[in-house]
Amino acid sequence: MSQWPIAQLTPVRQLRVLAEVLPGVGLVERVLDAPYERVWSFLTDLEHSVPAFDPMVGSLRVLSHQGSRLVVVTRMSFLPLSSRFEVELRDGWCLMRSRTYLVGMAAEPLGDQTRYAHLEGLPCHRAKALRMLRPVFRRVVGGDIHGIVRTLATSP
Amino acid sequence: MDLEDVVRAAQRGEPLSLAALLRALGPYVGRICGAIALDDGDDAMQETMIRVLKGIHRLREPAALHGWVRRIAVREALELARTRRTLVPVEQVPEPPAGIAPELRVEVADTLRRLPPEQRAILVLRELEGFTEAEAAALLDIPVGTAKSRLHRARRAFRRRWQG
Repeated sequence: MSQWPIAQLTPVRQLRVLAEVLPGVGLVERVLDAPYERVWSFLTDLEHSVPAFDPMVGSLRVLSHQGSRLVVVTRMSFLPLSSRFEVELRDGWCLMRSRTYLVGMAAEPLGDQTRYAHLEGLPCHRAKALRMLRPVFRRVVGGDIHGIVRTLATSP
Repeated sequence: MDLEDVVRAAQRGEPLSLAALLRALGPYVGRICGAIALDDGDDAMQETMIRVLKGIHRLREPAALHGWVRRIAVREALELARTRRTLVPVEQVPEPPAGIAPELRVEVADTLRRLPPEQRAILVLRELEGFTEAEAAALLDIPVGTAKSRLHRARRAFRRRWQG
């Protein structure tokens, strides 16, 4: 009966679901004025893109890459701190999780533009009190999206 | 990692496992929500997944996952279809994914669109999911007699509109 209508959950919708379920995260969505292929190829070059758009990250290095799973290590810009992230990377979908932090990026084509969603925060499931941090993380994410827009505009 | 392991990890709130569970349940929930809520199927699916992930820690037996998810999906799709009950012009039917007989899917969607959501739901449970009338009645929280008569009306209406 495959001719019945089938609903789908795009990567951006999947990220919205996670943002609803995880109390201590902030999600921001934007339409980026660049084609999806350009946006996604920039973002998935994690070693270059993340330090370029996030001023808190001084460097990111890929330690291993197997299929859709990566392990990366980040160093902060202003403190001698390193974090190890497990990463799931698919077409239009990137979820990075360390012991204490979660980053999600999702994108999908929107004509010549790109619908983009970005999430950051604490990877905790059931601590409802963390909801009070959502505006803080939304501001952090807003800064990162601003960095993405700026970098896309200035790169060839 | 099999589905049971994914469920157990998702119950601990592990974000990568929550995402894996979303992907694993996608085709199943998409079929139910698409057939009942039609154009609002994607929204119904999103609401279903939120409910599922928020409540996954309460699921005691991972083997009961699909039955539990099905109840949520039917309820969410039906509720959304009822609240947004509108007739949509045929030309606005979304493009079906590649690989599935597109003309037939658009025709089925258009025929379903002209049925009330309650009739769509009983048709989906009986014809798509293969439930008995008693099981479908339990899922929709209606008496078996009501399910039987609703199914009869739904089949008759579908046939009439399909042929018309």
